[in-house]
Amino acid sequence: MWVQLMPVLAVLSVLFGGALVLAVMQSLGFAPWFGVNTFPDLSYFGALWGSWSFWQSLGLTLYYAIVSTGIALVMGILLALAMVRIFPGKSLYKYLYKLPLMIPYTVGIALAVIMLGNGGMISRIFAFVGLIGDPSEFPQILKTHYGWGIITVYVWKQTPFVTLTLYAVLLGVGRETEEAAAILGANKRQIFFGVTLPQILPGIVSSTLIIFAFNIGAFEAPFILGGGYPDTLPVVAWRYFNDADYTLQLQGMATVVSLALIASAILYSYLAFYRSFERRIGRN
Amino acid sequence: MTKVQLKGVRKDFGSFTAISQIDLDIESGELVALLGPSGCGKTTTLRMIAGLEVPTYGHILFDDDDVSEVPVQDRNVGMVFQRYALFPHMTVEKNVMFGLKVRGTPSGEIKQRLEDILDVVQLEQFRHRFPAQLSGGQMQRVAIARTLITNPSVLMMDEPLANLDTKLRGEMRRFIRELQQRLGITTIFVTHDQVEAMELADRVAVIFDGVLAQYDTPEALYQRPNSVEIADFMGANNIFDAQVSNGVAKTAFGDLQLDTDTKPVRDGTGRVLLRGEAIDLLLGEGEASQNVITGKVTAREFFGATVNYTVDCKGETIIVNEQSRRMVDVGQDVWLTIQPQRIWVIQDAA
Repeated sequence: MWVQLMPVLAVLSVLFGGALVLAVMQSLGFAPWFGVNTFPDLSYFGALWGSWSFWQSLGLTLYYAIVSTGIALVMGILLALAMVRIFPGKSLYKYLYKLPLMIPYTVGIALAVIMLGNGGMISRIFAFVGLIGDPSEFPQILKTHYGWGIITVYVWKQTPFVTLTLYAVLLGVGRETEEAAAILGANKRQIFFGVTLPQILPGIVSSTLIIFAFNIGAFEAPFILGGGYPDTLPVVAWRYFNDADYTLQLQGMATVVSLALIASAILYSYLAFYRSFERRIGRN
Repeated sequence: MTKVQLKGVRKDFGSFTAISQIDLDIESGELVALLGPSGCGKTTTLRMIAGLEVPTYGHILFDDDDVSEVPVQDRNVGMVFQRYALFPHMTVEKNVMFGLKVRGTPSGEIKQRLEDILDVVQLEQFRHRFPAQLSGGQMQRVAIARTLITNPSVLMMDEPLANLDTKLRGEMRRFIRELQQRLGITTIFVTHDQVEAMELADRVAVIFDGVLAQYDTPEALYQRPNSVEIADFMGANNIFDAQVSNGVAKTAFGDLQLDTDTKPVRDGTGRVLLRGEAIDLLLGEGEASQNVITGKVTAREFFGATVNYTVDCKGETIIVNEQSRRMVDVGQDVWLTIQPQRIWVIQDAA
């Protein structure tokens, strides 16, 4: 059997395993092509973890990832619930809401700059109708550490993804259990929390896992729309890689590996928590 | 105990009319079947009574109170769905308690009523199981228990026997009938299966294309359908054109004497309905004196307890159904006879 699996195993180990091993080894001081080989050497991690800015960057990274995942989830649930109901213009809407899925992130970022910046469309409209005196008086949304621009782009792109996933799950679940609950006397809130939510939970978990994993490692949006130093970890890593001093690439690798470790730890605990919840309510 | 009335109820979905107009009176404590082919509007009717759909026109009355606009949560009805619609993430116990919990019933009372109802549906040993771990019959009993624990004024069931195998079907039929009579709860169920309707119901409302075609007891529907469509739907196969005059129906295979004292007929065209089991199949000429039809057996279908003979009578095909106490061979000449009171004549309304 192993022999038959060899081709796919080879591809997998070279593509994923190889890259992973190389990244970990570099972060531990193995880079003879730069004339650096102090393997195994924890000093890169030490330097990274010892600096306050790393933890600030980690905090920002997690903040953007968690807030945008949360907002996209709530909006995705609401939209998916609306989609399984009948409303005027539904067929048009079914195409419209998927649009951000097909538009690249960079275009979304450009849209954010055009729309939300000081001097962007919205600020000009505000100035035009007289809400503010000049477009420059518009509150700063982009390039702050609150990251509203980053979060907006993530939410814009990922809400359709969550909606699509949950809509499919809801179609599978059907309306019958909700109707049964209504006939038994449950109000809308009781139906949602008691009947619908537990049934779409697997869809919620998988879609949030995916978008959170993306958000935590995303680079373009925080790079363009972020507030500058301290940057998010992917941007920090990129700055190391892009530095004139190429030996800093090892520091960059340590950043990437740290990010991967933290992300895996978070996702793994999330999944473990969900699994234990499933077991507690008796499903397995 | 609740009397249910539908008065001039109509339901449109956009440009599609599911129900054109239905008037229906269901007595308190009665068990009524809504019978019809799929797409005839019977499920829509049930959903309107439940409150899941609002009628476009007309009124639904419970004990003479108009409930057409009462939201489903406040209507206090019970519904057993065709695929049961149990909550898959809850145990049997939690499924059954759901209706009382959401109504804010005190937990002591919930516990008490849970024990009572689990006893009624005999599910005590399955109380901690999940729906996925139950058989079809058990799931249905959970669905019934979940509904009955809330003491609904009307119980509704969508195709209650459709998803069960033959043996379980009989068991569930007796269970539902017995439960319904014990609780005296007004019960309405939907089915496309005439056998299921006859097995269970006190009265059957036949719905064709959104219109109530006939509303009668199972026996009347079976023996005395008021249209060929209903006869056909109730599984009749011997329907023949006839010319009626002076109490005699002239058919292609001979004259049939009718019993006009109990079943008055008009002179003119009509259709005669001969139920297969009402026909006697004789092997000798002269054994019967009245309504004798000569023919030849062309096919035989053996069903175990009963047997169907296809008899060719002067170009018409008559199906005779009898207990399989004997076997008549294909190709044999036979004489059929039917008593006048067993013949039903379907005539268009004057």
